[in-house]
Amino acid sequence: MTVLLSLDALGKSWFGVPAVTDLTLDVAEGRLLGLIGQNGAGKSTLMNMIGGVVQPSSGAMRWLGATYHPQSAGDATRTGIAFIHQELNLFTNLSVAENLYIDGFPSRFGLIDWPRIRTRSAEILHRLALDIDPDTQVGRLSPGERQLVEIAKALHNEARLIIFDEPTTSLTPRETARLFDTIAALKAEGRTIIYISHILGDVLALADDIGVLRDGRLVDSGQVGDFSVPKMIRAMIGRDLSGLFPPRTNKPASHAVLQANGLTQPGVLQDVSLSVHAGEIVGLFGLMGAGRSELARILFGLDAVASGSIRLNGSPVPAGIAGRIAAGMAFVTENRREEGLMMEAPIADNLALVCLRQFGRGPLAVMDTGAVGMRTEDARRDLTIKAGDIRTQPVKALSGGNQQKVVIGKWQMTAPRLFMLDEPTRGVDVGAKFEIYTLIDRLAAEGSGILMISSELDELLGMADRIVVMNRGEVMGELARPDFDRERILALAFREGLT
Amino acid sequence: MIATLTNPAERALDLAVRHATYVIFAAVLIWYGVQAPGFLMPESLGNIVKQSSFIGIAAIGMTFVLLTGGIDLSVGSVMFLAPLIAGYAMRELGVPVPLGFVVALGAGLAMGLINSIFIVWLRVIPFIVTLATLFLFRGFGTWLTSSTAFDFKEGFRAFGLSSFAGIPMPILIFATVALIAHVTLAHTTFGRQVYALGNDREAARKAGVDVRMVEMKVYLICSTCAALAGFVLIAQIGRLDAGFGEGREFDVIAAAVLGGASLFGGVGSAFGAVVGATLIQTVKLGLVFTGVNLYLQPMMQGAIIILAVLADGVREKRMQALQKRTIRSVTS
Amino acid sequence: MSGRATIPDLEASPMTATLLQRRPLSDRAADLFLSDYFILYLSLVFIAVLAPFLPTLVTPGNIVNVMSNMWPLLIVAIGQTFVLAIAGIDLSQGSVIAVTSVIGAALITLVADPVVLSKAPLWGVLITERGGPLAGVTGGVLIAILAMISIAALIGLINGLAIAVLEMPAFMVTLVTMMTISALAIYLTQSENIAQLPETYVRLGKGDLVSVYFGVKDTSQLPRKEVFSLVTYPMVIAVTLAIAAHVLLNRTVFGRQVLAIGMNRKAAEISGVPVRRVIVLVFMVSAVCAAIGGILYSARLEAGRPTLGEGTFLLDVIGAAVIGGTSLFGGKAKIIWTVFGVLFFVLLSSSLSAMNLSAFQVDMVKGAVILGAALLDVLRTRIMRERMR
Repeated sequence: MTVLLSLDALGKSWFGVPAVTDLTLDVAEGRLLGLIGQNGAGKSTLMNMIGGVVQPSSGAMRWLGATYHPQSAGDATRTGIAFIHQELNLFTNLSVAENLYIDGFPSRFGLIDWPRIRTRSAEILHRLALDIDPDTQVGRLSPGERQLVEIAKALHNEARLIIFDEPTTSLTPRETARLFDTIAALKAEGRTIIYISHILGDVLALADDIGVLRDGRLVDSGQVGDFSVPKMIRAMIGRDLSGLFPPRTNKPASHAVLQANGLTQPGVLQDVSLSVHAGEIVGLFGLMGAGRSELARILFGLDAVASGSIRLNGSPVPAGIAGRIAAGMAFVTENRREEGLMMEAPIADNLALVCLRQFGRGPLAVMDTGAVGMRTEDARRDLTIKAGDIRTQPVKALSGGNQQKVVIGKWQMTAPRLFMLDEPTRGVDVGAKFEIYTLIDRLAAEGSGILMISSELDELLGMADRIVVMNRGEVMGELARPDFDRERILALAFREGLT
Repeated sequence: MIATLTNPAERALDLAVRHATYVIFAAVLIWYGVQAPGFLMPESLGNIVKQSSFIGIAAIGMTFVLLTGGIDLSVGSVMFLAPLIAGYAMRELGVPVPLGFVVALGAGLAMGLINSIFIVWLRVIPFIVTLATLFLFRGFGTWLTSSTAFDFKEGFRAFGLSSFAGIPMPILIFATVALIAHVTLAHTTFGRQVYALGNDREAARKAGVDVRMVEMKVYLICSTCAALAGFVLIAQIGRLDAGFGEGREFDVIAAAVLGGASLFGGVGSAFGAVVGATLIQTVKLGLVFTGVNLYLQPMMQGAIIILAVLADGVREKRMQALQKRTIRSVTS
Repeated sequence: MSGRATIPDLEASPMTATLLQRRPLSDRAADLFLSDYFILYLSLVFIAVLAPFLPTLVTPGNIVNVMSNMWPLLIVAIGQTFVLAIAGIDLSQGSVIAVTSVIGAALITLVADPVVLSKAPLWGVLITERGGPLAGVTGGVLIAILAMISIAALIGLINGLAIAVLEMPAFMVTLVTMMTISALAIYLTQSENIAQLPETYVRLGKGDLVSVYFGVKDTSQLPRKEVFSLVTYPMVIAVTLAIAAHVLLNRTVFGRQVLAIGMNRKAAEISGVPVRRVIVLVFMVSAVCAAIGGILYSARLEAGRPTLGEGTFLLDVIGAAVIGGTSLFGGKAKIIWTVFGVLFFVLLSSSLSAMNLSAFQVDMVKGAVILGAALLDVLRTRIMRERMR
């Protein structure tokens, strides 16, 4: 068995913080390696090193025995490595064929040889059983089709190693099944595959070998037969699940903070009803594309809804974002960088943003800077945000966990009745996660209702009083804490049933 | 699952929005044609194309820059300086006209190089760089002429007024530039990479496109086209006024945008720029034909551009709506 | 000289000596570089370096001249600063100046020459041979100014609505406004100036409150050339506006919302900032500032001129704001930066003309300075980033 790619004591640190440490791993040709690990385990750093996007701080890589030291993404492609990322790298304004050839078109007399490109593209698409015209603009394809175009790109580049990074997150079950068929076909052609996923069942079903990453190290590896889902989880987490979460300190009250009834928006939601009680943490679970974030955006007044009612503390919510905020809603979005924070602005400015108007004095609404200073400093102390001078230090200088505390903090200053937290621990390291969980528990204990959206089922199992499961814009069911059952929840989330 | 529009009215609207400029163009032609039938005569139509060549050639170059999501404000000054340098070469050094043509292009290329050094290598944003070179190039040109008009030597105008097979020189050059630009954009690796860069710069870099090289080339092309545009117009007039080209950068950008180029990059075409420039000229000449106060001309121009921009916005929104992930199939 | 005692220690270890001396020095240099006052320091250094070679630069006459060029530009640039703060751009300011100056002048002109103006569409509507409708009316100038400001506010409102509600790019919207409005200004008078403005109006552009005389005392007739304005109306107006704008941008809820939108529009929106309303208001502020600056320009000219604010004027405005340090990407703007940027810009142009350089050299140096400022900004950002690590 040939070793295609071997990693030798590979390491990478960011500003002195190790992301990957002393990682040694061989990828055998023609096999499928399933790579698993929690967020922040070092998977993306590892992939970026293999892909030439970042340079290792230490260690070496070898490709078929020869030194492999990629300086750019182009180097990796030329070597024969292809990536199928979560976010696709396609040009929506170009055709499928053009996307395949963008780094170099075959030409005749200096002009692009379109017939040749079309024939070859059609041939590749045919191999993937993808029935689309190579001249179709990528912008008009569905997410599943776009993913297959990415795979077509890999085939076109004659990639010997194809790395899938969470490929199923935006796919429908049917598209997923089709992807798995394609992966099997690729393997049959003798291609080597690294498959990274959070869906452990998929990894077990597809992989020949499994590697588990935790805190930047390879903690376990071996043939698939040696693994089971519980063993994988133990290896990924490295300790007992219970120690990861703080105990819930309060019981939910009986009155509902949020009552949503029959929310329907064509193409997005279908008859969604949901309630959150005061002091209750409701987990909202579903696969990517289940409509969780879309539901939150509708509840917050960011997106339109065709029918249905939303009541907060028993009365209908006012229209518009400002109205919702005034009525007591808070929304921590899944995209901290783009929607949550002003990255260049000081921490204090970020904390004060939502309740700016509270600080306005007089008819001109002149800022009471003293009050701003006091309130934001209180928030910093209260949330234990680790920062220097919050009035000057920009928020982008903070770690992910502390950034998230700033986002939660800016909402907390409005004393909201309902907190919607979309992926609150995304991009937050394990230690800081515990702090965020403690904070969420405290918010509930102080009487706020919490709607916690997450794609990490474990954290919902650990934190929620109740879990609501969605699939393709519909509520599939809900379970109270005593009935929590991982398999049932997953079965609901997959709808077709996974058991 | 290719998104399709089933409703015929929807589809017609979609088509109109996608080709807003052509719809406007047709409407303008019909409107003037009804008001002054002489307007649709081949002679006046030929005149329109001839007069559009100046802004049109520059707009073609600008389209390259806009496609990458950049902007070039220095074209008005390039139009002024490049023919001037060529004029000096011809008058003082006795360079023959064809070689003067090459000198003008070379001067444009050099100015494009200055722009791209700052934009591509020093990473200063295009708006500021080209704003600065707008002043720099014009200042240099005014220095050469000491703020007076520059008369070209005899024989130069003969070139500008010449024609080949009955087609006037400006139209010939305009058509050639348009054709070369179209082929470059549509049928070469570089051209397709320009589109890719404008669509997603980061993805282009990851896909192995030499982003810097592509970006540098578009600024070179833009300046060279501006130089050519200036040269072609001056060759017809034979005289370069001190304020020549001032404020033209906005006309050029407007023509390109009118032709369907998006300021956000990734959308546009060479023929679009031709259509945009011709449309502006048609409106101008039509107003002359119908006897509208000349001072009102830019208002009409403005109205048409705003229509095109609005259509661009609508098109963008529709694209986004199409790309937006639908969770469930819409049952209607 | 308490520091002396430590010197032997330092000499004992040359390594620490260099470390101790160099680090703070480069740090202090970086501090200076990153300071709000950097462009002011640069202006002062500029004067200090040039003064020995160019004595006319520091004569009272030239300083007065620099100042009088500075105030109207400053007012216009303040408006632009607000727009840049939300990552927008306003190309229509020059045309707002043109159209408001024409309409304002038409309202208050005392006498109009039919030979010049009878073809203008305004003839018979606003202007007649006896001047404008407000000629000689008490408070007429004030009413005219209010009218000018209202027109500007309306233009700003249209810009703002198109940009905020229809979500069209600011560049294109204000470009079209520029084309349309300046065409309108020229059309209204058929490209003629409207002169003969009342003394009260003209004083706004030229009048001084306090003047200084450097000549011999006891002269009954002061030679006009020896009298230098110290405090002028434009100065009072501009300084008042600058202070108000500073308070508005940095000290009020509105200002914070403006900067928040520039920094991260989505985050601002989700945090409940009324994004659209703020954008519309910002474009109105910009247009109104342009109109006020325009009043000073036209008062100084003693005429309403439809080509006022044409050509490279706008680029002067944006250039001055950017040199001051305001970012075109939004979220980074301070009025004081703009004050210094305008000062530097005006100082530069006037010293170049004092050097008997022609317009071309002024243009070239302007270009070079804008480029230099942009490079400085790139450098500053880099230093900031490194400091954070």
